[in-house]
Amino acid sequence: MKNILIVDDEQDIVESLKFVLETAGFNCYTAFDGEEGLRLAKEIIPDLMILDVMMPKINGYKISRLLKYDSKYKEIPILMITARSQEEDKLIGEETGANEYITKPFDLDDVLKQVEKYLGKQN
Amino acid sequence: MTRIFLISDRINVIEKYDKLCRENSYDFKNSADLKIIDDILSAEAQDIVLFDNETSSFNVKEVLKNIRSLVENSIVILITGNKNPDKDISKSINAIISDDFSDSMILAALSINIRAQSSLKKLADTNKDLAASLYRQNTLYGISSQFASTLNSEKLLEFMIEGLDKTLSFSLACTLSFCSGEEPVLILNSLYEISDELLNAIKVRTIYNYNSLFENGDIPFKIDENKLKVLKYIKFPANRFNFTLFRFDNMFARIALGDTFYGCVEVFKENHFSPEDSKCFQTIVQQVTLPLKNASLYQEIIETNQKLERLEKLKSEFISIVSHELRTPLTSIKNSLDILLSGRCGEVTENSEKFLSMAKRNVTRLSGIINDLLDLSKIEAGKMDFQFKPVSINTVMDYVKSALSGLAKEKSLNLIIKTEENLPNIMGDSQRLEQVLTNLLSNAIKFTPEGKNITLKSELKNADDIEYHPCFAEYMKNLKGDYVIVSVEDEGIGIAENEYLHAFDKFAQIENSLSRKAGGTGLGLPIARQLLEAHNGAIWCDSVLNKGSNFHFAIPVDSANIKSEEILV
Repeated sequence: MKNILIVDDEQDIVESLKFVLETAGFNCYTAFDGEEGLRLAKEIIPDLMILDVMMPKINGYKISRLLKYDSKYKEIPILMITARSQEEDKLIGEETGANEYITKPFDLDDVLKQVEKYLGKQN
Repeated sequence: MTRIFLISDRINVIEKYDKLCRENSYDFKNSADLKIIDDILSAEAQDIVLFDNETSSFNVKEVLKNIRSLVENSIVILITGNKNPDKDISKSINAIISDDFSDSMILAALSINIRAQSSLKKLADTNKDLAASLYRQNTLYGISSQFASTLNSEKLLEFMIEGLDKTLSFSLACTLSFCSGEEPVLILNSLYEISDELLNAIKVRTIYNYNSLFENGDIPFKIDENKLKVLKYIKFPANRFNFTLFRFDNMFARIALGDTFYGCVEVFKENHFSPEDSKCFQTIVQQVTLPLKNASLYQEIIETNQKLERLEKLKSEFISIVSHELRTPLTSIKNSLDILLSGRCGEVTENSEKFLSMAKRNVTRLSGIINDLLDLSKIEAGKMDFQFKPVSINTVMDYVKSALSGLAKEKSLNLIIKTEENLPNIMGDSQRLEQVLTNLLSNAIKFTPEGKNITLKSELKNADDIEYHPCFAEYMKNLKGDYVIVSVEDEGIGIAENEYLHAFDKFAQIENSLSRKAGGTGLGLPIARQLLEAHNGAIWCDSVLNKGSNFHFAIPVDSANIKSEEILV
C-alpha cells in the first residue's frame, strides 16, 4: 500500500483529504504543523506528500526545500496547497521543488487525480 | 541759525561783515588761515561761504579749487573789490558782492541766497523721503511676491520677519508663532546676543502680551514659560543686548485673520519708529495673514489626503486578509459536500442530492465572490502581477469557449464563433484575458434565455474605425493605432443606454433583483475594465433593450507584430 503524508494545520482539510485518499486505497499519515510534518516525513519516507504552505513553526516552502535538497528524500513527490493564488507564489513553490501546486478552495477529485498521476490508481 | 563763514584777511571787510551778521543774528566765523579754513569747513557745513577775491595771504583760485568738495552744499559768494574775478572762479560761485554794495544790498544778497539754500535743502529732504518711501514700497512689493511663493507657514513667518527687518531695521523682533506643530514657538531675530536672564525676561513679556490679547475670552493655548520653545537668530553675536533693551521704542501686533490666530510679533528699535514705520509694520503683519490661512488650508488638504490614502490601503489589505481567511473554511465545506455527493459515504437520496447541490452551488458562488474581491483589491493596491507575452487572441477564445460550452449546452444555447483569420498577436497576460472573456461569456450565458444564440467575434480594427456610444467617448479617446477587438453578443434582456457606463462601476449591477437571480458579485465587469486598462486596452458595450447586449474589448496589436502562425511554428 502506498503511503501518503498530509501536513496541514487545518484539521478539517486534513480529515477530508484523508477520507478521500483512503477511500481510493491509499494509506495516509497526518501531521498538523510543519515540525511534526518534517519529522514524520523523515521517519516514514512516504511515497507522496501533500503540504500546506501557511503553517505554524515551519512553513510548507521550507519543508519542501529541506526535503528536496536532501538526496534521501528528494524523490518524494510534493503537492503544495495554499490559499494564495498569485503567480509569484507559484514561482516560489516551484523554486522550492514542489511538484504540483493546488489553490484553495480545491476540488478533492482534482487532488485525487494529481495523486494518482504520481502513484497510479489503487484497487 | 544761519552759518556764515568769511574767508578774508582784509580788516575792513571782516569788520563790516562781522557787524552785519551780529546785527542780523547770523552765526559768523572768519579766517584766512588755510588750516583753520579746512578744519572749520570739514567740522560743520556752512550755509554761506563768503570768499574774498582780494585775500592776499593765498591764491584765491587755488584755494577755491581745493575746498570745492567741502563747500559743495553751501552757497559760495565772491566778494570783489577792484580786481575783476578770474573766469574760472566765476564758474564755481553762486553770487558776487562788490565792495561798493551798501549794507542793505549785501543783506539782500545774503537773504536771497539763504532762502534759496533753504528751499534747496527742503527739496533735497523731500527727495530723500521719496527715495526712502520708494525703497519701502519696493520692499513691500517684494514681500508680497514672497508671500505668494509658498504654502509653508513657517516660511511665511520667516518672510514676514525678513520684510520687517528690511523696512524697519529693528534691533530685536520677538515672534510668537502658532504655525509649526501643536506648541507655540518663540522666534527671536536679534541684532546682538541675548543672555539667558534677558531671554527669560523676553519670554515673560511675550507671554504677558499674548495673554493680554485674550483678556475677554479664552486663551487658545496656555503657554508655560519654562516649556516655551525658542529659536534664536543673532546677527552680530559678538555684541550683547542688556536690559536697556526694554527702554527701546517698540511696536506690537497680533497675527490673525478673523478668529484664526497665528501668533503675535513685537519689534524693538533703539531709535524711534516713525509713523511710516508703524504703518509699514501693520501692513506687513496684515499681509501675511491671508497666505497663512491658505497655508493652513493646504496643510489640511494634504493631511486629509494622506489619511484617505492610508484608509484606502488599509481597506485593500483588509479585503486581502479576509479573503484568505475565508478560503480555508470554504475549502472544508466544499470538501465535505463533495465527499457526501460522491457517494463515498453511502447512497445519496434525490432530496439529499438536491440540497447538497444547492449548498455546493452557493459555496462555489461564494468562492467566486472572494476571488473577485481579492482581484479587485490587488489591482487597486497595485499588487496585481501581469505576465505579458505575445498572445494569439483566437487561442484564448478557443480555450474559453471549450471551458464554458458545457454551461451553454445546459441552457441549449447556440455558441457561434466568428474569428478573423491571421490576426496579429497582442501583448498580454493570457490568463487574465481568459478571465475577462470567461466573465463576459458567462454573463452572456446567464442573461440569454434558453435556445437563443451567443456570438463570439474577433477582428482587427483601427482605433478610428471603432464605433461606440458617445458616453464612452472620454474613456475611448486615448486609443490610437491598430487593435484586436473581441465581441460577445447575446440575446438577453439588454441594457438601457443610460446604464452603459454604470455597468462597469464597482458593485453596480443594472437590475439588482435580476443580478441576484443570475448570481454574481457585480465585480466582473469592473475587474475586466481594470485588467484591460493594464493592457492599454478598453472595454465598452452597446445594447438593444430586450433584444440583447454586445460587449466589446480592444487590445493593442503587439508592437513587435509577430503573426500568430510564426509563434506556432
